[in-house]
Formats: sequence, C-alpha cells, structure tokens
Amino acid sequence: MQLGTDNGVTLHVQELGSGPPVVMIHGLFGNLATWYFTAATELAKNHRVIVYDLRGHGKSARTPRGYDVASMARDLDAVVEGVVREDAVLVGHSYGGLIALAFALRCRERVRKVVLVETPLPPLDTGAAVSRYTQVAAHDTAAMLASLPSAVREALVRGGRRADRFLDTVRFLSIESSLRDDLARAEMSDAALATLTCPLLAVYGTTSSVRPSGERAARVVPGARYVEIEGGHDLPQEASAPLTRELVRFIDG
Amino acid sequence: MNERNERPVERQVTVLADVGTMIRDVIGEDWVEEVPIEMNTSFARDLELESIEFVALAEQLKAKFGKGVDFASWLGSMELEQILQLRVGQLVEFIVRCNSEPTTA
Repeated sequence: MQLGTDNGVTLHVQELGSGPPVVMIHGLFGNLATWYFTAATELAKNHRVIVYDLRGHGKSARTPRGYDVASMARDLDAVVEGVVREDAVLVGHSYGGLIALAFALRCRERVRKVVLVETPLPPLDTGAAVSRYTQVAAHDTAAMLASLPSAVREALVRGGRRADRFLDTVRFLSIESSLRDDLARAEMSDAALATLTCPLLAVYGTTSSVRPSGERAARVVPGARYVEIEGGHDLPQEASAPLTRELVRFIDG
Repeated sequence: MNERNERPVERQVTVLADVGTMIRDVIGEDWVEEVPIEMNTSFARDLELESIEFVALAEQLKAKFGKGVDFASWLGSMELEQILQLRVGQLVEFIVRCNSEPTTA
C-alpha cells in the first residue's frame, strides 16, 4: 500500500503474517525487499511484520531533502501511527537501525524492543569512507566490486534494467538529494544511548568495519545484548538464517 | 467465478494469463507489453524482475487468489537467488496446486 504522511511524503508499506507487530527497516540504497525475502517471511509465521521503503528508496517518494535521522524517524512514526497502531518491535539494518533508535528514544512507550543489525553509530565518518571508496574504485575495479553486496555486484556485472535502476537510486541519493550532508550531521551521543529503556539487541558481522559501533552500543546501553555473526555488513542477505534465529530468540524471548 | 470447475490444463492457462497481466502491471514499462510471458519465461533472465517487483507481485497475488495461496511462505522456503532464478511456470503451478486443494470455505 501507499501511505500518505503528515510530512507530505508518500511511503510504500507492506505487511505479512499476523501476531505481535515487528517493523523492519532497510538500510541506505536498499529497499523493503532487504527484509521481505529474508527474515520477514520466517518471522511472519508468528508475527505481523511491517516493512516499508525509506523516503527516496524503492517505491516511496523521492524527496530532495529530509534524509536526516530525525526526519526519517518521523516517517517511521507515520508508519507506526498509520499502519501498525500498536506497540512494536523495531528491527533496523544499517541506517535503518539508527532510525529505529531515534524513534525509540523519542517515543519510548510505543517501542517494545529494538534490534540494530550492522548499524553505524554517529559521528559517521562518511567523508573518509567516500574518499577511501573512491580511491579503491579508481585503482582496482575487482576490489570495488568485491566490496558490494553479492546481489548488487551480480546485477551490475550483468548490466541491464536492474543495474540501471540501482545506479539511478545511487545517483539520485548521493548527487541530487541532501543525503550526504544529512549523514555528516548525524549525532548519537553515549548520553542519549544510555537513556534507552527498552531491551536492545545488537547484531554485527565478524568481518564488518561497522563492528565497533555494535561494541559501543553494548557498552553504553543498559542490558544490551551483543551478538556477532559470521559475515560482513550485508548480514540480512549474507547470513539470513543465523540472523533470523537471533531475531526470533530475542523477539520471542 | 467458475475457477474450480475448470479442468487442470484450462486452469493453468487461465492462471498464466492472470500472472502475465500482473507481471506486466508490476514492471509497468512499454517493452514488457511486447515480451511473451510463458511457462518457461525466466523472471531474472527474460524479465529482469527486481526483488522489489517480486514484492509488488506478491501483493497482487494475495489480492487475486486470497489466503489459500501463501506466496510469502513459499518464497520464504527459498534463498533470494533461487527466487530470482524462478520461471513463471513454477509460480503458475504453485498457484494451481494451492487452488485445487480442497478448502473448507
């Protein structure tokens, strides 16, 4: 379904299954299929799973601005208010986890639990990451391709419509939208993290460069549970089965 | 609706036509009107269906065939790569199989 929000942004939302609600949020440059074809169908056996496309992604509206965590947490608020309408567990991959955290810190009574999957905690060193990446891309095509999620890599190598669509999304978000500036301004202090009152699970990949953020969350958030799974940043696709097992254990436990 | 009175072969033809219409609608581009959608059409190679378009297709299937066709669970039993390697015919056969099982409606 397409959900109109008070922010004037139209969001693409999908639901599966029935039971206690779980909202799953994808990361930057992805879309709701990140979860839909991985953990969501398994969780949907006993839960009501709600997935949506972030603004500027998938079939949601492409807005030039509003990619900061606060604006995107308001989009999540619109999904919770307009579709979910009960207290929910939030699961976010990468930037999606930051959006879940921001919402949970602002609306404590409406969030049962939070799961961060490979979520980088600000300050985000995006400038350094981009220049590192550009250097690699300029000198070593194979290394550049190897750093991408396998589905994206195969689509790009094969070319055609799927590659065009993905590059179109990347071009829009990184050149035409305010995303890069918004990311550079992102904040998440230890003081704010320490005030999280709901249970938190942090799942990170053994070979991921984002892992220190997970260790930080585990150190700062009272009672946080920290788990490492073999893999890199793209855990929902790379390690779907073990990740899903951790999610079920934490959500139903 | 006389869907349950059709013989299996006719039923398959009807479902293939329905699925073909949904796929064209989900892709929503001019070229796909010209592409034949048959039982051995590959979602990935012939149609280059994206995973998000599969989600849209799942929604349309749910609306058309109802809860008896649990598309999400069927997909959930496969890896993403397996899903993208699917042929249209495998989906059609799955729907026919679900619909022909006795229901207690």
